[in-house]
Amino acid sequence: MKRNLPFSEFFRNNGPVMGSILIGLVAFWLIFLILLPQLSMLDYSFRFNLPPADVGGPKDVYTLSNYEYLIYGSDESKQSFNTVDLKVFVRTILAAMVVTVFNIVLCYPLAYFLGQAKGAGVARLFVVLLIIPYWINEILRAFALRIIFGETGLLNEALMFLHLASEPIDFIRQDVALYAGLGYAYILLMLFPMYNVIESLDRNQIEAARDMGASWVHIHRRIVIPHAKPGIASGSTMVFMLSAGALAAPQILGGPSSLWFTQLVYQWFNDSLNWQQGAAYAIVLLVSTIAIVLTFMRVFKVNMGDIGK
Amino acid sequence: MSSATLIRIALGAYLLIFFSYLLGPLVVMSLTAFNSSAFPSVSPWACFTFEWFGVLFEDKHIRDGLFYSVLIGIGTVLLSVSMGLAASIVLTQVWPRFRSTYYTMIIAPILIPGVVLGISTLVFWDRVGRFFGAEDGSFFYELFHNGIFLTILGQSSFIASYAMLVFVARLQRFDPGLTEAALDLGATHTQAFRKILLPFMRPAIASASVLAFLASFENYNTTTFTIIDYKTLTTVLAQKVRLGINPSISSLAFIIITLTVFAALIFEAVQRNKSRKDAMRQGRLKPGRGVLPGFLRGNPAAIILVLLSFFVIAMVGTAQSYSPEQCKIRVKEARQIEIQKRIEALQKARAEERAKAAEEAEDAVPAAPSPSNSGAFGNVFAPGNLSGEEESEAVPEPAPQGGSGAFGNVFAPNNLSEDTPDEPEAPQGGTGAFGNVFAPDNLSGSE
Repeated sequence: MKRNLPFSEFFRNNGPVMGSILIGLVAFWLIFLILLPQLSMLDYSFRFNLPPADVGGPKDVYTLSNYEYLIYGSDESKQSFNTVDLKVFVRTILAAMVVTVFNIVLCYPLAYFLGQAKGAGVARLFVVLLIIPYWINEILRAFALRIIFGETGLLNEALMFLHLASEPIDFIRQDVALYAGLGYAYILLMLFPMYNVIESLDRNQIEAARDMGASWVHIHRRIVIPHAKPGIASGSTMVFMLSAGALAAPQILGGPSSLWFTQLVYQWFNDSLNWQQGAAYAIVLLVSTIAIVLTFMRVFKVNMGDIGK
Repeated sequence: MSSATLIRIALGAYLLIFFSYLLGPLVVMSLTAFNSSAFPSVSPWACFTFEWFGVLFEDKHIRDGLFYSVLIGIGTVLLSVSMGLAASIVLTQVWPRFRSTYYTMIIAPILIPGVVLGISTLVFWDRVGRFFGAEDGSFFYELFHNGIFLTILGQSSFIASYAMLVFVARLQRFDPGLTEAALDLGATHTQAFRKILLPFMRPAIASASVLAFLASFENYNTTTFTIIDYKTLTTVLAQKVRLGINPSISSLAFIIITLTVFAALIFEAVQRNKSRKDAMRQGRLKPGRGVLPGFLRGNPAAIILVLLSFFVIAMVGTAQSYSPEQCKIRVKEARQIEIQKRIEALQKARAEERAKAAEEAEDAVPAAPSPSNSGAFGNVFAPGNLSGEEESEAVPEPAPQGGSGAFGNVFAPNNLSEDTPDEPEAPQGGTGAFGNVFAPDNLSGSE
């Protein structure tokens, strides 16, 4: 719809029935599925974990104890900070960043190759090949990597066969499997946004730069990357958010001693049945990841409107 | 070597690495579905088998999970596609100043971690249920603590954003003049929507529905919190993978991969066929005669599709009649031989150890004269050493006096009996140089 109809006349433009249906659906989505659930989770995170009888009673007051627990740990512990959980949190954020950078580096050449490929046939074949793993279940993709990285997995067998290793390497405990799995899980969410923007780049620009003697590095730094920036930002945002919020890959590929922050949330909810504490952890995860994404967007001067393109 | 060739080689190597990283794990996983070994692996290849497909189809949890996954998928498609469509229409009409804020709001659910969405849905509807003062067992309580209902809501909250993105792309090409014309000609708004906008959006609705269904089908992070008592295919799989795995999961993966490949090929083939027909209509392409039917001409995807279909039909046909029993027996035997070898090696090592010990002992105490003949190595090689307990009745006569070699009864048959495989023939009382030293019961000699 190219023409801008005045929104104040929304109901006149769409008719009372259609107007109400449209507004009603959007309102239901934004209010009942997004806003109120997030607010009630926030509210929950400030409450004590009380038995059902006490809920709404005089003991049901607001508290910061759930957040304090994340930072300082329980009162009984000797340490002044909750080093275990904080370490998990920092590790999750840093590892998600590393995974994001790894994906940018791995995807950029392919996105450039596909976007600027001359024959449409090859590029199309590659895109079809790429879409196939994209629709395989996340669990199954993690499982596939587990077969490869397991103690008697393919990689270990191959290394032993080639005499590169004398005994099986525990890739799972070393977290190699986890990082490979996270990089693997969301790689296409990096590739496709990059591919879309690079495809829209006029090839003449590159030709012109080359004719004027620009070096290969120069062409990429001055022409391709600035043009691809919204795509890279969009892909990075999604990969970072999804890696930091991943649950399946750490559960399946993570070592027994090292946890992912989402696993702590999961444990609070499903094992300890302390929803309030779990909600506080989830809020911390949500707020910190969003803050990091917004900071990076500010630094690299990208708009929110570029996401999802 | 020119730099162009160098770049080409580097590009080729890079593409190879990229695609093996992406597709390699899936290929390996598919292969493990056909290996008879009980743990999913490819490298010690045992037997080619289809049995894991049978195990998969027998699995009640997986069938239940599949049913609920489809049910939730349908619900999610209905809810998220309609919400996404509404949101995208509103986006085109909202005040320009408010547009980017609104866009941020409807795109944000994609970026919220699935875990957070799942938790917030669970917490919020639990509270709504309590707000209505619902008791256990009442309608509202059941509704707001129903895994299927909550999962549909939780998944729709972000899948609607995906659908919205699909619709926005299509709506940009819509001409609102059409709707205006319909309204001028006396159509109601609802009619205009149904007869003008909806038909125009139909391809986008179709692709958004497929996208939404697949996203719902494979969602784990949100579902694992909201599903409560029920199980979807994904949560069943996650549980299986975490607790203990057998290759039936690989066979499920193989089926999903095959279906995906088929879907991709069909899509591609239809696209090519369409563009070929368009080209023909415009006279750019002559309908020439060839060996292949028109559908397949100039359409590699369609050719691959047909070949793949033949391959799958052939495979299913083979699976009906093929039986790997022969091979399994062979593998079992091979393993038994390997175990025996290992045991023998162990025995030899032990025998040598004992020999040393015995020599030292002999220096001190002369060996007791034994009536029976005893070879230097005693009964080390007695076949019964490796036999299981159950074959002892096959021994015809207990040796009257077991030979006592220097090594005594260390290797008496039952020492190792527990994990040794069946031995087809029991030893007869031996004769010859080593005599009945090999009798299984020769430990009696040491009394």
